[in-house]
Amino acid sequence: MASTQAFKDRNFIGVIGDEDTVTGMLLAGIGHVRESDKERNFMVVDGKTSDEAIEKVFDDFTAGRKDLAIVLINQHIAERIRYKVDTFVEAFPAILEIPSKDHPYDPEMDSVLKRVRRLFGE
Amino acid sequence: MEGLYFNINTGYLDALIRGYRNGLLSSANYINLTQCESLEDVKLQLSATEYSTFLSNVGGQLSTSIISQHATGKLIEEYQYFRSQAVEPLTTLMDYISYGYMIDNMALLITGTLHERDTHELLDRCHPLGWFDTMPALCVATSIDELYNLVLVDTPLAKFFRETVTAADLDDLNIEIIRNSLYKSYLEDFYEWAGKQESPTRENLQSLLEFEADRRIINIALNSFGSELTPEHRLALFPQFGSVWETAAKQLARADDFDQARIAIESVGIYKSLFDSSGGQSIEDHFYRREMELCKAVFTQQFSYAVIWAWLKAREQEIRNITWISECIAQNQKERIQNFISVF
Amino acid sequence: MSGAGNREQVFPTRMSLTGMKIKLKGATTGHSLLKRKSEALTKRFREITRRIDEAKRKMGKVMQVAAFSLAEVNYATGENIGYQIQEAAKSARFRVRARQENVSGVYLPQFEAYEEESNDFQLTGLGRGGQQIQKAKDVYSRAVETLVDLASLQTAFIILDEVIKVTNRRVNAIEHVIIPRTENTIKYIMSELDELDREEFYRLKKVQDKKQKDAAAADLERETDAALRAEAELAESKLVDEPGQLISEKDEDVIF
Repeated sequence: MASTQAFKDRNFIGVIGDEDTVTGMLLAGIGHVRESDKERNFMVVDGKTSDEAIEKVFDDFTAGRKDLAIVLINQHIAERIRYKVDTFVEAFPAILEIPSKDHPYDPEMDSVLKRVRRLFGE
Repeated sequence: MEGLYFNINTGYLDALIRGYRNGLLSSANYINLTQCESLEDVKLQLSATEYSTFLSNVGGQLSTSIISQHATGKLIEEYQYFRSQAVEPLTTLMDYISYGYMIDNMALLITGTLHERDTHELLDRCHPLGWFDTMPALCVATSIDELYNLVLVDTPLAKFFRETVTAADLDDLNIEIIRNSLYKSYLEDFYEWAGKQESPTRENLQSLLEFEADRRIINIALNSFGSELTPEHRLALFPQFGSVWETAAKQLARADDFDQARIAIESVGIYKSLFDSSGGQSIEDHFYRREMELCKAVFTQQFSYAVIWAWLKAREQEIRNITWISECIAQNQKERIQNFISVF
Repeated sequence: MSGAGNREQVFPTRMSLTGMKIKLKGATTGHSLLKRKSEALTKRFREITRRIDEAKRKMGKVMQVAAFSLAEVNYATGENIGYQIQEAAKSARFRVRARQENVSGVYLPQFEAYEEESNDFQLTGLGRGGQQIQKAKDVYSRAVETLVDLASLQTAFIILDEVIKVTNRRVNAIEHVIIPRTENTIKYIMSELDELDREEFYRLKKVQDKKQKDAAAADLERETDAALRAEAELAESKLVDEPGQLISEKDEDVIF
């Protein structure tokens, strides 16, 4: 079971997404630049971003940093690092796959919904 | 008199621009566009217009950003063709037009430099109309002082910078304040220059500029409620001409909520209907509509250099319209699709 | 699993039998309790799953509306404000903290959004599009709230999934391993004890038998003894009688 104490200082929401998604989330006010090392809690992925770079940030957000409670990731980006998202089973941070402007949400792809369906044997 | 020699230098361009103006999408085109079911349909509809082939080289899936990118690309191409054909005083006018975009680009570069980002990658984000040859050189700057000096030496914006900001300001002030101070200084300078032109260019440009100044004043007033801007600061950001400046500026600067601002603005005759949101229109929509009407009026004049600006604005609005319609179609928000502005 | 040979290593004594019986009782109670817990959790779990499914679908809609408000911003400002926004972001206004909720002894975190005093973008769109930006801010804030709710559900889902798995594993272990094994052990002890009983009985029988035999033998001996003694007495009396005979013979011969 996930550690129940660890989430006490998890206060932020991280986001990995395309420019519009990130801009929107930042407008909502989730953007945070850590004072100590100027690390941001968001990442803009465009056509030029490599899968490795996404993986690196994903790892950092999920395992490296301890101050994120939720990590939002665009579904089409999650698709690029699907194996990583699917194998991440910890409760914290919660990984949420969200739709982006150009890629509507597809419940078939979602790793959590996949688990749901597996459990109900569909 | 001015008509006598106008065509010697500008006849070709005038013909060209009026040709382009006729190529602007008509209401009928827009009606067709709003009937589209998918972006592919939009592409098909547009291929019957001036835009004919602008998307023909795009493979794969269409998105609104691709459409707007290509539409802008087409506009830039045409504008640059004009620029290469132009002679004085049209060139100066076109320079003035591009300064507005340069200010935005500079704001981008300043932001990047302040945050110690690699400014080279910012060049791609800069608006092509605001591009100047020495811009890549600015990317060399690593500190804000260095950037300031480079701006003063190397850019056409030097005169605005010199008047409004110091190197220390770049560091301390919010980038939005810097941007708006520059813009104010730019508009005033432009207005002054326009005043020296011959009629009808002078009247046309002044009407457009006055509108631009009014719009900025009203926007700044409306957007600074509850912010750190004091009434004095606000006043300092208002361009000092135009109908709002003459009548309601002080009152607006002191306004601290929507209603106070509304009273102040409604005292200016032409903006009485600005707050009328009965048709679901925002203030921005009213502004855009008015801007388009002004542009349309400019086209009714002959021998005016201002048509180039009017055309540019009309085209920009057209791109916004196309983007908006595509966005509505792509995101299935058909009920708002009529929210574009078409005056031609 | 429940093979006959599967039992605990105990000495088949009455005392360990009592121990085993207590253990069996404990296991049964534990089993029914855990079963009930698992059922309660599963109920909750199913509810959460249903809500996740709903919420995820709803999220699609919400995000679409949000993306659309951004489109309005782009329409109003006529430029892409993405970069400015990214650079202006400094300190998060929208944050979350987790609260705990107890469901059948499982602590489920519940994310809760709260706002810090911070406004990184208060002047963004000053000259143009400020109202649309304000609107987009509101719409996105609401969207993020939905996302936070969804994140709570999802975390609950993952934790519950884990806990239910563990509980079910325990239930199954008790049901299919511990209880049969204890029962087997009890059976074994019982059978061992029965066996001992039978042995004891047989032994007793045997002893009794032997005792009887011994008793019979002793009787016999005693009888033989008695007979012998009687014979000896007889013989002795004969010995005494001999002169008498002689006398009597004499007597017969000699008539006085």
